Amino acid sequence: MNSINNSYIERPRYLCSLGGALSTLEALPETIPVMHCASGCAGSIAWAQNGGSALQVGGHCGGLTVPSSNVGERDVVFGGTDRLTEQLKNTLEIMEGRLYVIITGCVTEIIGDDIRAVAAEFESGDYAIVAANTGGFKGNSYLGYDIVLTSIVNQYVKKAASKKKKSVNILGIVPYMDVFWRGNLKGVRRLLEKLGLEVNTFFTDEDSLDGLKNSSEAELNIVLSDVYGHETAKAYEETHGVPYITATLPIGPTASAELLNAVCGALCLEADVDAIVGAENKRYYRCLELLSDTYNDIDLQKFAVIIGDVNYAVAVTRFLLDDFGWIPVLTQFTDVLDGERQEHIAGKLKAPAPLNGPKVVFDTNASEVVRYINELYPKRESDKYAETIAPAFVIGSSLDRAAALKIGAPHLSVSFPVSNRAVLSRGYTGFDGGLTLIEDLLSAAVAMR
Amino acid sequence: MSYFQQKEPPKREDRLNTCIVYGGTLGELADKTKKCRCLNDGCRGFSQGSICLLLPAIAILNSIPDNVNLVHGAIGCGACSHSQNANSRSGSGMRTGTVKDAVWLSTALNETDVISGAENKLYNAILEADKLYRPKTITVIASCVPGIIGDDVDGVVERARSQVSARIIPVHCEGFKTKIWATAYDAVYHGIARSIFDDPYLNEPLIKDDLYYQRLENKKSHTVNLFGVSSMGLADEQELTRYLNALEQRTVNPFPCFAEPDSIYKLKYAGLSVCVCPTHDDYLLEHLKEEYGVPYIIRHMPIGVENTSSWIRDVAEVLGKSDIAERLISRETAELNAALEKYRPLFKGKRVFVSAGEFRALATANLLRDLGFDVAGIRSFHHDEFANVEYEKLLKNVGSDIVINIANVQPFEEANLLTSLKPDLFLGHWNGNSTATKLGIPSHVIYNTGLAYVGYRGVFELARRLYRQLLNPAFNANLSRYVSLPYKKDWYGKNPFSYVKSNLDIPEDYQEDYPKEEAAR
Repeated sequence: MNSINNSYIERPRYLCSLGGALSTLEALPETIPVMHCASGCAGSIAWAQNGGSALQVGGHCGGLTVPSSNVGERDVVFGGTDRLTEQLKNTLEIMEGRLYVIITGCVTEIIGDDIRAVAAEFESGDYAIVAANTGGFKGNSYLGYDIVLTSIVNQYVKKAASKKKKSVNILGIVPYMDVFWRGNLKGVRRLLEKLGLEVNTFFTDEDSLDGLKNSSEAELNIVLSDVYGHETAKAYEETHGVPYITATLPIGPTASAELLNAVCGALCLEADVDAIVGAENKRYYRCLELLSDTYNDIDLQKFAVIIGDVNYAVAVTRFLLDDFGWIPVLTQFTDVLDGERQEHIAGKLKAPAPLNGPKVVFDTNASEVVRYINELYPKRESDKYAETIAPAFVIGSSLDRAAALKIGAPHLSVSFPVSNRAVLSRGYTGFDGGLTLIEDLLSAAVAMR
Repeated sequence: MSYFQQKEPPKREDRLNTCIVYGGTLGELADKTKKCRCLNDGCRGFSQGSICLLLPAIAILNSIPDNVNLVHGAIGCGACSHSQNANSRSGSGMRTGTVKDAVWLSTALNETDVISGAENKLYNAILEADKLYRPKTITVIASCVPGIIGDDVDGVVERARSQVSARIIPVHCEGFKTKIWATAYDAVYHGIARSIFDDPYLNEPLIKDDLYYQRLENKKSHTVNLFGVSSMGLADEQELTRYLNALEQRTVNPFPCFAEPDSIYKLKYAGLSVCVCPTHDDYLLEHLKEEYGVPYIIRHMPIGVENTSSWIRDVAEVLGKSDIAERLISRETAELNAALEKYRPLFKGKRVFVSAGEFRALATANLLRDLGFDVAGIRSFHHDEFANVEYEKLLKNVGSDIVINIANVQPFEEANLLTSLKPDLFLGHWNGNSTATKLGIPSHVIYNTGLAYVGYRGVFELARRLYRQLLNPAFNANLSRYVSLPYKKDWYGKNPFSYVKSNLDIPEDYQEDYPKEEAAR
């Protein structure tokens, strides 16, 4: 396990906490974000989605449509609350929504504007206002997702009179940062519906704002990430008494089965998980059956290099190890993570000898991946019988194409930024998602055929 | 004292009286600007997010080969690079045959840095970046946070200079300081001129005899600086270079996008600088003239037939090549007009609305009218005096009654205008087309780096694309049936400029013959 700390982050594969908060709100129905920040923040975030989120920008109220106080030098000197008050009043006049969420940027956070007080001035029964301190220097977009959802959970989500049996919420899949968020959430819903659950996913085109408002009725929160969404889940637990479990993003049969078992256990359901998993596996492998010639004829098994955020780096590596039978040799995490988390996550990628797990690296600086590969495969020109990484495959973001080119490997973008794919409903979760990932991997591998 | 002796350039609202708030008719605007040269800028009681100077600055700097963009700020500043990188990749691929990603880094300032300052972090980042990437230049781009917490970015850069092999260019882009994002061009040029304008070491000849000066003059007589814009791709650059070559200019220095950092000093040894978009370049053009005696032309934007011909004529006149220019123009326009015949019938009488940076919006409106469209309205992202020449053409071409809206995007005003004007076609800025799209109006992007817009070829290519768009606008039409914009219904009945505050009056201290210097102060 390697861990590097630089004075900078190379081509950050995330936005700031404001960017994560805004992206989260843009994916919610009937929600109007109100940015309290300098004028360029909205544009920077829109441009980032444009280039990083697989062509998906904005939403019902997103991009450059988002109300923003656009504070300037004068506000820095005198405070920005007057501007926010005016902006909020007029936002309520002109923008159609049921939930208005004020989010702050660096400037207003540093000058210390009291946004909760401004929000309180406009309380009404017709709509709800939430205020969240998301100033960009607090952290990255994954943190922003947690900050804004925590604020919504504490300020907006209704106190439940009673729990609704067999109802669960899904957390940890961050809109726009996971460019497959809609497909992935739907995949999870389809999977968990097999247990007879009502699955609240908040951010898909089939969700409504009422789902969020009443989400405290859930019996259980399921956080599909080793890092993201945990703070939100804790807020649900503290404010609304909803317990939570965490699991890996379930890509393919093994992780899906694990999730079904974990949820079944946590909710003490009487479902026959083995029967469900058996039936799903039968379907999955019947579909895969048609590749049994070509997979072997064309020699499609690869050594894999995985570069990604926590969710994808773990889930894809596990899928390749457990289900697809490739050999992950290197997994690089581009998130900033503390030592404890690094250890926990690295522990998830182990496999029994001689397969072993991949070498695990925590380095935000992804152009270093070639150096890590060379360390694994030291080779001199004269080495006729040297061990090499070929046949290799790189699974990462679109910024990892250069590395793939260097080692002569096909490449698939799954982790932000994904500039070279268009994504609308595609997802990799569940049993079916595993098949979709196989399609995409092998399509890239045989693209020149 | 020259602006270039200061650490930071002035903001454009001070230097040029640039404004971003206006709503009214073309006639009213012309009247006001004629009287007092510039509008007294106001503000909006309701506003939507926009961009700041950081974005165009980074867009330019991401294109510079062998440059590392070190953004000193919170981690999200610089995220715009994710889309701009597409331009860096295709631009480097087309120019050098090798597709290269831009390199941008972030010092990712956190809560501790905000409290204790981040000068050391920046210093270390410069040293580490120099060691790892071995770039020719490192542009240190300061965003909002260092501006507020008071990091001495220039001091750190000075301290680091002797420790690294790259040349370091500080670029000040503290977004909260200016409402006018066009200040970005000044910020970039300011940094470049102060940091990498020196001649390479030992470039000067030992003996400067008559022959040296003769050679220099001879070289100057066929060397021209082409000041492009970041929204201009290789296709546009090649089109203009073609004209300049025809005018016997053998060396064309395209600047600033994709300009080789070690060659930028050559701008000083050109015989002429020509500007493509008058919004961009006056700051450096004037500096090159004052300090190095390079004359410049800043007048027409070569978008549209008339403008392109005027642009060529202006250049030819300075070079004494008017004969060649006239022959070039008559041949090119004849060829173009023949090629456009196919498209004109479909365009005739269709009503078009344009929205973009000021010069591009106005020039494109004139172009569209020339193609047979009726101009229904125009939105510009700001206004300054350079555009007056373009407003005059518009007044002559489309009359004084059309709607002019000056706004740093503000789609709510656009949604209102489009709903009442109901144009048949919309041309809008990058990330500025979704409003028209959701209203079901056929749309086309008014700039996309890589597509051709400029010169005679640009007219043809734009016509061809608009024709394609109008042939099957099903994408937008279908979408509009099922999605809606996020505005309340009663907004659409209101005056689109209801939230504009206080600039509709001539300023109280207005005087006839207001001297320019006064107005700019």
